[in-house]
Amino acid sequence: MSVVAQLEESALDPARELATLLARAEGDGAFVSFTGVARPGSKGGQTVYRLVLEHHSVLTARSLEQIALDAAARFDVSHVHVVHRVGDISAGEPIVFVGTASLHRRAAFEAADYLMDRLKTEAVFWKREIGDAGSSWVEPTAADYADRERWG
Amino acid sequence: MKILFYGRLADAIGPELEVPAPPGSSVGDLRNNLTASHPEIVGVLRSRRALTCVGDRLVHDDYRLTDTDTLEFLPPVSGG
Repeated sequence: MSVVAQLEESALDPARELATLLARAEGDGAFVSFTGVARPGSKGGQTVYRLVLEHHSVLTARSLEQIALDAAARFDVSHVHVVHRVGDISAGEPIVFVGTASLHRRAAFEAADYLMDRLKTEAVFWKREIGDAGSSWVEPTAADYADRERWG
Repeated sequence: MKILFYGRLADAIGPELEVPAPPGSSVGDLRNNLTASHPEIVGVLRSRRALTCVGDRLVHDDYRLTDTDTLEFLPPVSGG
């Protein structure tokens, strides 16, 4: 079992993170990875140039660790791997990587889904969009909170 | 005592504020003072998804502050 929960201040490379997970979880039969990417458009359809992800010096890392540990405890997975960007992220760049490994596929799928639902609503970040419309804060939607509630 | 703000609260109030905290003041008292002085962001200050922390631990409105505490107001968070 390994649990990785990491803040990344420079570019996040999903291929490298997946390769790390694959190497670490040799012998498992299922690997699921998810990469979240900064969209070039806002919900209102305006161009977004970049995101700024602000974080807390202590609570952000703690929230990532707790979410990753909870996933590892809840699902029959052997490895959980979470890497989350902070700082300035240009449109098109990865923001978050979630990878899970297990003997069989269901646990890996469910753990990745669970991790993202909790990261969207509970990881301690404040997300600002910078674009044609100026600067605006982005918070989870009602659908994001409903997704989170599925897990109790 | 010192109050730190993050996200949209830092935009509205500033990242840091020094305020008097009379003996026995609670987090709820300071929240009331802030909503009175910054009515434009009352929705964020009173959001059930906003968090308050002292010493990197979550505290609630009944928490009694001391003059050496640093209170942190965290607006609703969003990762991913």
